[in-house]
Parts: sequence; structure tokens; C-alpha cells
Amino acid sequence: MRDRLSGSMIGMAIAAAAIGAVIWAPITRTSAQAPDLKTPWGEPDLQGIWTVETDTPFQRSPKYTNQEFFTEAQQEEFDKLRSTLRGRDNRGDRGSERDVSGAYNNVFGALKRTGKRTSLIVDPPDGRIPPTTPQAQKIAAADRDFRNALMQATQTCKLKLPGCADGKYDPTPAVARRDELPPRYNTARMNRHDRPEDGALADRCLTIGLPEFGAGNGGGSFRRIVQTPGGIAIAYDVGQGQGWQRSIVMNRSPHLPAGIRQWFGDSRGHWEGNTLVIDVTNFSPKNDYRGSRENLHLVERWTRTSPTTLEYVATNEDPTVWTRPWTVSQEFTRQSEEENRIYYEPRCVEGNIGFPSMMKAARQEDREFAEGRGSDPLFKDNASGFAEPDPLQE
Amino acid sequence: MLDRRLGSMITVAIAAAAVGAVISASITQTSGQAPASRPARVDGKPNLSGIWQANNEANWDLQAHAALPAAVTQPGVYSYDYARVPAAPVLALGAAGAVPGSLGVVQGDGQIPYKPEALLIKKANADHWIDRDPELKCYLPGIPRAMYMPYPFQITQGTNKVHIAYEFSNTARTIHLDEVVGPPDDTWMGHSVGRWDGDTLVVDVTNFNDRTWFDRAGNFHSDALHVVERFSLMSTDIIWYEATMEDPKVFTQPWRIAMPLYRRVEPNMQLLEFRCNEFVEEFMYGNLRKQPLVKHWESDTMTVDITRKIPPGDSFYEWYR
Repeated sequence: MRDRLSGSMIGMAIAAAAIGAVIWAPITRTSAQAPDLKTPWGEPDLQGIWTVETDTPFQRSPKYTNQEFFTEAQQEEFDKLRSTLRGRDNRGDRGSERDVSGAYNNVFGALKRTGKRTSLIVDPPDGRIPPTTPQAQKIAAADRDFRNALMQATQTCKLKLPGCADGKYDPTPAVARRDELPPRYNTARMNRHDRPEDGALADRCLTIGLPEFGAGNGGGSFRRIVQTPGGIAIAYDVGQGQGWQRSIVMNRSPHLPAGIRQWFGDSRGHWEGNTLVIDVTNFSPKNDYRGSRENLHLVERWTRTSPTTLEYVATNEDPTVWTRPWTVSQEFTRQSEEENRIYYEPRCVEGNIGFPSMMKAARQEDREFAEGRGSDPLFKDNASGFAEPDPLQE
Repeated sequence: MLDRRLGSMITVAIAAAAVGAVISASITQTSGQAPASRPARVDGKPNLSGIWQANNEANWDLQAHAALPAAVTQPGVYSYDYARVPAAPVLALGAAGAVPGSLGVVQGDGQIPYKPEALLIKKANADHWIDRDPELKCYLPGIPRAMYMPYPFQITQGTNKVHIAYEFSNTARTIHLDEVVGPPDDTWMGHSVGRWDGDTLVVDVTNFNDRTWFDRAGNFHSDALHVVERFSLMSTDIIWYEATMEDPKVFTQPWRIAMPLYRRVEPNMQLLEFRCNEFVEEFMYGNLRKQPLVKHWESDTMTVDITRKIPPGDSFYEWYR
């Protein structure tokens, strides 16, 4: 059996977030193939395996204000810069925490060529996520404060590494907050592994499904679409094989009762001309997408634009979090069946040795500290992945 | 195509389907909710699309068995096997933890033809059900088990693929109608390649690992398993499903199961989530908590604290006052 999550505990979630398991292999269409874009029953044909073949900044950098597309020279510049980052040995001082995860990340990190757009976000026109509401800011601040407290005494904060984010270094561990529960249901990695619920969703094999913009998960994501008259199935392969299934309800019936909440929401679709429009609500409060949880409302528009391309436009709405809706646009490219025959089986928990190992190691550290043989675990960074930031996403 | 010995079972099933169809039609009319268009054929082939579910006891045990007091039992006051009582892990469930009886779905003499050494493993599996059954860990169920677990699944029949999404564990498989060779690796759900034999969809499933089971009774296979499935539409709302298992490492000869799969005809039917890996975190990782919640471990021995407080008014005698 594959122990796909059994590498460095620290690097695990980075890898989980960074790569889809499907192999990137575009289809090359021969001229003999007719571009028939309709199913035999006359619906637009969206079938096949699809992915985004390029990397695009999620938000537009202020450097490119009023510039929707990169110039070719800018794309080349990014490609050059990013390829040198990946090629180098990212290891830290031998034996340090950064050493182990740096080596791991170097193997598992994956970057694609720089795309044309300067941001995935096409609305608002400045290409940036709209401001969040005061309530959402308050919740986010409380969450940050909680996480920073668990990190404050680590080398990561002392050295101001990315894993410390906006936190500050304090040589005294936040002992008083050690056993505090997070301000709300935890979805992200924290520097404590007292229970499964302290783990990030990705570490628990509970990766959120939607919205799925690839880059938001740090890398690749693949979707296979199969259509039948009156029905559409979409099988996702995201974050190290954490696949999941969508069966789009196409009979124009209303959404599920408000009391039924799902990790992947409730997807109801219909055709508008050649475009499949899917309305998604009923998300679980355990989901978290940039602060949006059970009130997320997603409207997706899927349009086949050529034999090898599919346009995907998704509008995110949550008035409790964002001051206005915002929209992402992506272009998917059709992928080879043959090259991708291996990994669309969604498996994660079956080989998730990394997650229990994190807790097991934490219990060991607890014991050693209690017996006076080890230092307070709060001095150690068991949360951040020490990953190098992608300059494209700054 | 269909086994003639099963004639009476099929007749019953057809009658059930006819009743189902009538009920479904009347509900549809009164609720005013238009069902999604579902032509009888897709691309010239019988349309298997829809949400289906087995309605039998196969997931408990493929073979014929009498009802049992629980899936996990321990010796009672007598030493007889037939006088065992429910064991602690399932005791609190009462009759809901019991195992319903069945005439079995294994064809022929009803026996799974284990090699002698494999039969010993099967029996040990049954004795260690809680520790070994992958279903309890929410692992991918494999084929054919995914077809008769007590959860619905949805078939989406396309032109060159038939996709099956299973509610259990949010898993799926794609049946390739176009030739796609198997992966250079083993899998939980197998690699499925289908072809039409007249109006029957025949699916060849290979590339299995040795981790999945056939049922909760410990019936198992090796990584040499090869499954051939046959899907035949008996009526609009019933698929006759057969699966032949071949595994020379475990069985002396191929064997076959057969059962109807019923359409979930409720007009508002849709797959919901059953993301059970969240549900089993305490089962799987409870011993790694800093503060134990439900169970605790001393070395390899697990202790489960079962506390059952009877609310006022609910005690046995109070019910009969």
C-alpha cells in the first residue's frame, strides 16, 4: 500500500495542499478529430478530464493595477524566477526543523508556467477580493490571535519566517492559553496536536471541496465530468488524492432544507444556452473558505469553448464576510485519459499515517516535558511548513 | 442471461417494481415536481442512470445465515455457539446492533469456495471484525461490496464512460467503455472496463489491492482478485446485478453473487454526504488524545467506558405502569 502521507509530519499538509495527484498531460488533438461539442442528446458536451495548466496570481498585485494581462516578457520573467526557486536546495541548517521539511517540500512542491492573467479574480475590476465586513474582521483577528499565541515562543517567530505570519516573537510560551479552544470550529493547522480536532481539515482528510480554484489550494486540481440526459457527475481530484464527488441535481427542484448542511454544499444546475449554471448553497459550518462558512453562496458557470478548453466562471457571495460578491475566471484544458488512468481514485484516510503520527509525537513530547526530559512543546514549531512563498502569489 | 433458477425471485422483484412505478408516478403527479428527463436508452444502450440501492443483508454476510444477537458476541451462560450474547462494544445498541438473517446471495451451493488455509483467515477475520473490517475505518469499500452496502449510489451513464458515485465515503469509480488500460498499481476500487453484451453491461474489474472485504462477516480476497460484473435492466426501476469473483490465491474456483438493485424512486431523491472519515476519528485516533473522551488504552488494550443513564420515565417498569 502507498503511504502517501507518511513523509515529514511537518511538510505533510503543505504537500497535501500543493499537488493534485493526477498527472499533467494535455491532449494533442489530431486534425482528423471533428470538434463535436454536443452530446448525442443535444446538450453541450463538457465531458472529459479538465485542469488549469498555468499558475495565475489569485489577486492582482498593486504592481499591475489596470493591467489585466501579463506581457510575454513578464510571464517569462516569472517563469525564470520561480524555476530557480524550485531547483535549489531549500534545506536549512542540518538537523534543524527547517532542514527536514525543506527537503520534503522541495520534492513535493509543484509549480506550473505563469498564465496570461494578472489575477484569477475578474470582478471587482481591480482583481482583488473585496473588503471584509467588520464582523468577519473581528472573527479573523480572534482566530489569528489564538494561533499566534501558540507560535510566539518558536524559532519560526524569532527568525520571522513566513510560518509566523503577522505574529510576534515572545520568548515566554503562552502557557495560560495552551488548553484554550479556538474561537470557533478549527479548520487550519495550529501549533498544538492535543486531539484530532486540532488538525487542519487537509490533515484530517477533510479538505473542503468548494470553491475549487486550484491555486487557492496551492497547485493542481482535476475534475472529470460525465454527462447523461438530465444528469451530470463531476469527480474531483484535489490535494494528494483527496477526491470527492458531485452529482448535480438538474431537475429544477429547490435546494435542500436549510437544516441539512454538507461539506460540499448542495449543487443544483440548469442550462442557460450553452452554459451549465450551478447554484451551490447549504455549506457546512465546518467548511472555511477565506472566512466564509455556512453562508457561502456559489454560482458557477461552465462553458465549453473549444474541443480542448472549458471556461469556468464562479461568483462567491457571503454578505456576512465580504462587502460585495466577487468572481473568479479560469480556463480548463482537456487532459489525456490514458496518462491519467492511475489516480482518480479518491483515497486519503486509508494511508494517512502522518496525522496520527503528529498526535503520537505530541504525546511523546508531552511526556518528556512532564518528566523533565524535554523542553516545553510550545517552544517548538510543529505547525508551519517552512515553505518558500511563491513570488507569483505575493 | 439471467439464471433460470432465480425465476421466482425475479418474478417477485418485477412485481415489486411494478408497485414502485405506480407509487412513483402518483407521487410525481401530486407533488407537481417534474422529474429530470430520463430516456430509456442512451446512445442506443439501456439507460442505467439514476440512484440505486440494494435492499438485502449481503453487506452483513454474503452467505446464508440466521439472525444473530449482535455483530460482536461473547459466550453467554451456556457454552453453545447458539447461546452467545452481545459483547460490550455493541451492547448499548440493543436490537439495533443485531444482525438480520438472510438466505444469502452466493449462487450454486451458497458456499464461497475458500482454500483451506484461506478459510482459517476468514474465520479469524470474523472473530476480529471490529479491528479488521475496513468499513469500520471508513476505508474505500472496493467492488463488489460498494454495490450492496446500505447506502445509495448514483450511476451517470455517458457516451464513453459510466460514472458511479457512492454515498458511502463519497467515493466513486469510472467504468471505461473505451479501452483504457489499467494503472501500473493496485487500487481499492479497482480499474473498471465495460462493454455491452447485447443489453447487458459487462464490467471487468482488476488492479485490486488486498485490503477490501466482501462483507462484515470477514469474507476477503487477495490482490489477485478479478471481478466480472453484469448489469441487466429488468424493468425501469430494477437492475439485476451479478458479480463473479476469481482469485486463485484465496478460492479454489470462481464464484458468483446475484441480487436486484432497486431504483430510489422518491421524486426528491439525491445523494447526500456520508463523509465517514470524520465520524471515525474517535474510533481511529481516540487513544492519541491528550484528554481521552470515550476510550482509553493501556498498551494494546482498549477500554471503552459505556455509561448509560436511563432518563426519568424511561426505565423498563415505568413503560408498563
